[in-house]
Amino acid sequence: MPQNEHIEQHIRRHGRRLNYLEKKRKKEGRAAHDRSKKAKKMIGLKAKLYNKERRKEKIEMKKKILMHEKRDTKQKAEETQEGAMPHYLLDRENQQRAKVLSNMVKQKRKEKAGKWDVPLPKVRAQAEAEVFKMMSSGKRKKKAWKRMVTKVCFVPEDFTRKNPKYERFIRPMAMRFKKAHVTHPELKATFCLPIIGVKKNPSSPMFTSLGVITKGTVLEVNISELGLVTQGGKVVWGKYAQVTNNPENDGCINAVLLV
Amino acid sequence: MSFGYNFKKITVVQPAKEFIDSTLSKTQRKTPTVIHKHLPISRIRGFYLRKVKYTQQNFHDRLEMMLTEFPRLEDIHPFYSDLMGVLYDRDHYKLALGQISTAKHLIDAVARDYARLLKFGDSLYRCKLLKTAALGRMCTIVKRQKANLEYLEEVRQHLSRLPSIDPTARTLLLAGFPNVGKSSLINLLTRADVEVQPYAFTTKSLYIGHMDYKYLKWQVIDTPGILDHELEERNTIEWQSVTALAHLKAAIVYIVDISEQCGTPIETQIALFKKIKPLFANKPVCVMLNKIDITPFEQLTPENQEMINDFLKTEGVKFYKTSNVSKEGIMDMRNAACDELLVQRVEAKLRGRQADNILNRVYVAQPKSRDEVDRPSVIPGNAPQLREEADARPKIRTERDIELELDDEYMLDLRKTWDLKNAEEAADAIPEIWEGKNITDFVDPDIMTKLAALEAEEEERAKSGFYDLGGEMDSDDEEIRDLAKVIRRKRKIRKLEERVDRAPIGRAALPRKNDKQLETNMQDLGLGEHIQRGRGNYKESIHRGRSVARKRMKHNDGDAMEVDGDSGSVTRSKSRNRSQSHVRGPARNQSGVRPEEVGKAEKLRKKAQKNINQDSRRGEADRRFLDKKPKHLFSGKRGNGTTDRR
Repeated sequence: MPQNEHIEQHIRRHGRRLNYLEKKRKKEGRAAHDRSKKAKKMIGLKAKLYNKERRKEKIEMKKKILMHEKRDTKQKAEETQEGAMPHYLLDRENQQRAKVLSNMVKQKRKEKAGKWDVPLPKVRAQAEAEVFKMMSSGKRKKKAWKRMVTKVCFVPEDFTRKNPKYERFIRPMAMRFKKAHVTHPELKATFCLPIIGVKKNPSSPMFTSLGVITKGTVLEVNISELGLVTQGGKVVWGKYAQVTNNPENDGCINAVLLV
Repeated sequence: MSFGYNFKKITVVQPAKEFIDSTLSKTQRKTPTVIHKHLPISRIRGFYLRKVKYTQQNFHDRLEMMLTEFPRLEDIHPFYSDLMGVLYDRDHYKLALGQISTAKHLIDAVARDYARLLKFGDSLYRCKLLKTAALGRMCTIVKRQKANLEYLEEVRQHLSRLPSIDPTARTLLLAGFPNVGKSSLINLLTRADVEVQPYAFTTKSLYIGHMDYKYLKWQVIDTPGILDHELEERNTIEWQSVTALAHLKAAIVYIVDISEQCGTPIETQIALFKKIKPLFANKPVCVMLNKIDITPFEQLTPENQEMINDFLKTEGVKFYKTSNVSKEGIMDMRNAACDELLVQRVEAKLRGRQADNILNRVYVAQPKSRDEVDRPSVIPGNAPQLREEADARPKIRTERDIELELDDEYMLDLRKTWDLKNAEEAADAIPEIWEGKNITDFVDPDIMTKLAALEAEEEERAKSGFYDLGGEMDSDDEEIRDLAKVIRRKRKIRKLEERVDRAPIGRAALPRKNDKQLETNMQDLGLGEHIQRGRGNYKESIHRGRSVARKRMKHNDGDAMEVDGDSGSVTRSKSRNRSQSHVRGPARNQSGVRPEEVGKAEKLRKKAQKNINQDSRRGEADRRFLDKKPKHLFSGKRGNGTTDRR
């Protein structure tokens, strides 16, 4: 029974086949040809994946070749504008007056705009027919006052269901979410944070009260994990975040923190 | 092997990318791929749910397989457990398997969540997006295991090349400093082919060889050399030796190079022995003073001699002066070490509970002596004389003796033992027997002369020009050929014309009177018989159900049989009319198809069935229960009218 590094041992003892290097070189030389032949022959999904991969490789290769060419040939130097300075000599204090003015105006406009300047200012309205599915009830299934929510919902911990006989809105367990992936726009980091409540669903106040979460909904999330502190030194634990995806399609809630 | 492990059968661990690719492509291949948005939503949900579950199942199975196949360090023999701990880093190994297990659970959780969400999917688009998200998340989980999968694959490869050491078998363990001759000793004792080089640490891992002693199988283990330093400072190579020394219940052969050619003074080698002595507890140990072909023990300096003697005396171990080159003392050493281990193993076995179980059942009867008379075994007086005579008798020369004598030139000749009437016939060529008859019996004794005569005649004919073609015949031939060509052409044209004339509009394509012609045509096509039976059933005569007549024949026998005048087939019993069902046509899948196209038709049929089978939808061949009590026939009152509706 061969044991341990038996292949290396064999090579050490007996050497390689005499034409090993030659064959290896040839095989490497033919590799590109073989691959292209294979690419031509393949069909179906495999071909699609393979060629996609190949395309990427080719682009990469061409870019590299181009870079080498640039390095090898003499390039025309870019014409410098008059009065241009290298950036390390740029004087920071020497800001132009016009720029200051425009900045001030911008600042003021921002302040006026108020708190609700959200990343997704406009979202498609959700019709009630889209959000609710009619459920027929009664012995002969002819009553139709029950509704089932088909979008993702947030249901607080302390919510108690009504008697099923009188329950108008059903929020299925599968569609209830407790956590959201919240991105901090300045930190450029995403955290999985517990939801505290639904602040506003832009489509309808009823959705807000039901806790329906769709794209553009503003949530209140618990950010105590992040350890943010107010100017007064208190730990901030609730903050608003706007949903940026369609949770019912993706199976998760992605949101941007409003700061 | 009683305690053998097989680490060679672990399945290959694919790298993360290939793992994902193969799983996804499997999902694509093995689940239905066509869905439409106008189909019932339950079916759309089912379609995507199946994809999600299938992918999850595949990922789950593969990860589960890894977890079961890779040995758990707690479950295997401590020797292997420690060896793997040394080679692959215990913590790393455990963490990797733990993370694979976590990944498995995560994938299951993802599939569960998305399956629940899919149940509320209300459109194809939504279901599709959910499926995509689910598969994506599963793949991400696997992708995060990239490093672990790579590590496990490396471990698998290394494990599979590990020598298969049985930790419970009878073992000789060779230990000592690097370069003292451990590997050359194992090469001497067994058929193992371990590399021997004149530098330290040639052997970097454990090697195993097998030998026989006292009709028992023994394994000899060659360990890498150990240096004389603290346990904590030892490297992986040395640690392998230490684990083997610590966990294997073996006879230990500690080799000391007294020629000091290995580069370590004898003093250090003795110091090492004392340091690793705790590992030898309860094991038979013997010391080999090796390389006496270079420096015999007597030629050592007196200080060294004294030191060695002192050491051997204080430790109380057996020692042997040996040489791997001249093979001096090697066998003595081996036999003694093996015997010692055997004794110890037997003792250990006797001490065990299992031995008690057997001993309790064993009773050795010792007859009581009835008187004081001594009754030794009797040797007849002439026995020594008889033995002498037997020795003096010339020995029989056996076939084996001849073989040994002749060596390569020997050929086994069984013919000389044949007992024939004429002894010289044994060397004759054997007559050839074919179909139970001796060919030579049928050979004409003067066949050769006849053949010669024939050949001569043939030659004569050829010479006289019998086979030459006449020159004048050529023009005649050509004429005939031309004529034939014209005739063929004409026939073809007529055939075409006929086809044009016979445009089958509004009348039968084949009028009755043409039956004869059709028959001949079909005969040309190899379909003659079928046409006689009736049109359409090409296949009829070739393959039909078992004929009714034969079945009947088996049924009634002897006198009960009556022979039908014209047909000659067996008739039914007179009292009974033949049932209507007796005409069995050809199998349904073969009727109306040309015999050579049956295979093709079958293929087409299977192809048509494939989608239905794959979707596991109801097909036309499925058994189904129609509504046995249709509501419209059973509800409400029945009026005076018909009974098929109310």
